[in-house]
Amino acid sequence: MNAIGPVEPGEGTTAPRPEPRPAAGGSTGHPTAPRRALVAVLAAVLLLAAGGYLYATRPHVPPPAPPVPSQLPFPAQVVDVTFVGPHAAPPGASPQTFAFEVLLSVDAGPEVTVTRVSQPYAGLSLTTAPRTPFRTAAGTARTIVITMHVTECGTVPENAGLPFLDVTLRNTRAIQEQSFILGPRYARALSQALQVACSNESG
Amino acid sequence: MNELPQQLVNGLLLGSMYGLVAIGYTMVYGIVQLINFAHGEIFMIGGFGALTVYLYVLPDGTSMWVALPLMLVGAVVAAVLVAVGAERFAYRPLRTAPRLAPLITAIGLSLALQQAVWAWYPGAKESINFPEIAGGPFEIGSVTIQTGDVFLIVAAPISMAILAYFVMKTRTGRGMQATAQDPDTAKLMGINTDRIIVVAFALGAAFAAVGAVAYGLKYGQVQFRMGFILGLKAFTAAVLGGIGNIYGAMIGGLVLGLAETMATAYIADIPGFDQLGGQSWANVWAFVLLILVLLFRPQGLLGERVADRA
Amino acid sequence: MRQRSLIAITAALAAGALTLTACGSRDSGDKGSDSGGTTVVIGVDAPLTGDLSALGLGIKNSVDLAAKTANKKKYVDGVKFEIKALDDQAQPSSGQQNASTLVADKDVLGVVGPLNSSVAESMQKVFDDAKLVQISPANTGPALTQGANWQTKKERQYKSYFRTATTDAIQGPFAAQYVVNDAKKKKVFVIDDKKTYGAGLASTFTAEFKKIGGQVVGTDHIDPDTKDFSAVATKVKNSGADVVYYGGEYPQAGPLSKQIKASGAKIPVVGGDGIYDPTFIKLAGPNSAGDLATSVGAPVETLASAKQFVADYKAGGYKEEYAAYGGYSYDAAWAIIEGVKKVVDDNGGKLPDDARAKVTAAVQNVSFDGVTGKVSFDEFGDATNKQLTVYAVENGAWKAVKSGTFTG
Repeated sequence: MNAIGPVEPGEGTTAPRPEPRPAAGGSTGHPTAPRRALVAVLAAVLLLAAGGYLYATRPHVPPPAPPVPSQLPFPAQVVDVTFVGPHAAPPGASPQTFAFEVLLSVDAGPEVTVTRVSQPYAGLSLTTAPRTPFRTAAGTARTIVITMHVTECGTVPENAGLPFLDVTLRNTRAIQEQSFILGPRYARALSQALQVACSNESG
Repeated sequence: MNELPQQLVNGLLLGSMYGLVAIGYTMVYGIVQLINFAHGEIFMIGGFGALTVYLYVLPDGTSMWVALPLMLVGAVVAAVLVAVGAERFAYRPLRTAPRLAPLITAIGLSLALQQAVWAWYPGAKESINFPEIAGGPFEIGSVTIQTGDVFLIVAAPISMAILAYFVMKTRTGRGMQATAQDPDTAKLMGINTDRIIVVAFALGAAFAAVGAVAYGLKYGQVQFRMGFILGLKAFTAAVLGGIGNIYGAMIGGLVLGLAETMATAYIADIPGFDQLGGQSWANVWAFVLLILVLLFRPQGLLGERVADRA
Repeated sequence: MRQRSLIAITAALAAGALTLTACGSRDSGDKGSDSGGTTVVIGVDAPLTGDLSALGLGIKNSVDLAAKTANKKKYVDGVKFEIKALDDQAQPSSGQQNASTLVADKDVLGVVGPLNSSVAESMQKVFDDAKLVQISPANTGPALTQGANWQTKKERQYKSYFRTATTDAIQGPFAAQYVVNDAKKKKVFVIDDKKTYGAGLASTFTAEFKKIGGQVVGTDHIDPDTKDFSAVATKVKNSGADVVYYGGEYPQAGPLSKQIKASGAKIPVVGGDGIYDPTFIKLAGPNSAGDLATSVGAPVETLASAKQFVADYKAGGYKEEYAAYGGYSYDAAWAIIEGVKKVVDDNGGKLPDDARAKVTAAVQNVSFDGVTGKVSFDEFGDATNKQLTVYAVENGAWKAVKSGTFTG
């Protein structure tokens, strides 16, 4: 297309009156009457398209979000387990038994049930008080006494840097097994207890 | 278990690939005394050429036995086109310029090619997977050879044989030798030196392309930066073998590959060297070897027998 | 004739250079701020090109999403957030340059990034001198916050440096515990790439692995620039190891895993968050099934806020995945936005003159529910929420197999 044609009147512009051109330039532009028709058709199409666009993108009423369980938090996201400190071993227990306290708290959401507490090392077994399963409501915390018993000293890591407890948690949303890494204080307490338990060869 | 045979094979495989790429450096240098630093990128373009054929030309699920020859063709075509284009438009206009001008141009071209692939090849902003040949590895005694390596084992010697035949026996090959010895006299003898130079670039690119297909099959991926380090290594191999000598390139490649692998495998076992071993030190030992070789044989292992012209 | 060719070459080079600069500048967003409100720029520094770009672009896009969300919600009255993303190519030198660039732009009130610990080392002082807050979504090197002697004496390094990611001090040992206790592997071959992140992770892993009864049967360091690990793979095979630990990132870990398996050693490769990316599986091939990675944070599908983020990210129409650090980047950006909000609210709806110092102080005390859980920072600038997850490659994708919470 040649660039010498007149400016086409577009939407919202007033077209300058096309100057009468010599017949020789006829090939560069449309005759006037068909052009007017073309503009009319274009405008109609644009109008339809705009209307259609507005119609298609009109604000939908969002469906009310039902309070489905998927809105509830996963148990591991609301439970905190922290190390409190050593606890006296139950009276009459063998020297290879020791105990400590942890604090389990639930921040929010539905009641959380602890179905199992374990630790990963071979050569160690544990029991909890209260016994699993037990429940804890949101906004509350409870102290748990963990009693460990060394069954075989040779396989126990005496100096683990970041030991943890595996806790199986359940609420109405899900069941999850979460490892709670209780930090350096727990690590020190555990390795101390293990050294004491295993230095005593009487058991 | 004795791992020496396996490590020797590892080294020879790596070395063959260096050698295939090194040929391009050495041929171009032998004829126009230009260190074509963009050659590593020519290698990379070859890899992408093969990939393009596989991804966009061949129908999905084409057997590798059919695809591989076509990919090889694609790799060679892409690499040769770019190399010849570079020669025509970037190097030829500078042929009479001071030495530094084409060298800098080569470095610029190298960056430009890398970035062009990065910017415009779909998905090239990270590594792209290269098709692999199905089938398990082959066990020969205590040595395991990967299916992807078989191509390299076959292609490298065949390429060398073809090259040797071409340079020694054909008219064009002898023309190349003549041009390498003395371009002006060669011209007077009726050799079209412009054409010879183009052929040198094209041949180097073709071998790099074969190397690139081997690279893709061996490592299962290509990426826009794959030519940079490999190009440097291949250049080192060319210098080690004696730049300008095509057999030197292959020998230099093999020696370099073996040196790196042996350094990775065994240096750390020498008492007192445990901190200086491992793969991250392999380059250091390879270059120590290069320095030693150049100290005693400045012209490289198979030093070029060329009349020196400054 | 010569003249013309020279011009042609110069033009070609200039075109190449322009392509490069265009990549750098096209991310800075539109500058035209409407309605005369204040514009606050959140800087982003990450590898946007090169091997690690999958992670870097995920960081950039997630920060962009945070800024757009804040703008849409009109979260801070009269303040419009923009991002300015710079590419560090995983190079400490580029990182430092970018840090200076961001400091020089007076509208920048906070920076998210970088990805690499080694890059962070080069940036920290520049930002600290300018009192400009920097929050990394991905740095896991303990020394960045707690000093080089973090094992014995923790000491805050820079008041302006924070991170939302968990440190290697937890990640490495957690991986070691999993490998020994759950995967029952006791003989490890440890490989790292000698970079701050990789070497640090490998050493924390090794220390714990030995303590709990594992045996290190070999070590090697690789050169991250090469792709040929066949010599190392042969050493691994002959060492009799039943597991490989790799401290480094996926561009090398993928080929390494592939070549180790190809050498005939069918043993899992274990790594940190640097290999937790779909690209790893792509590069390592089908034999990567069973490879393990620890990554910071809980699995996305167990967090409602994370699901919202995933949906918003998808709706945002970003071309690239949010990758391993998307959620952490969003939270990092949001911590800056919270900081700006606090400063603006305290100053009667306007930005004060010493906005940078005030925002830094405000970020220290932020606390909000983010994509990855509760976001707040301890006295060293580390995230207080320390969750991490072990993922395994299963059917060509990462699948969570075990999660842990650090409550020390």
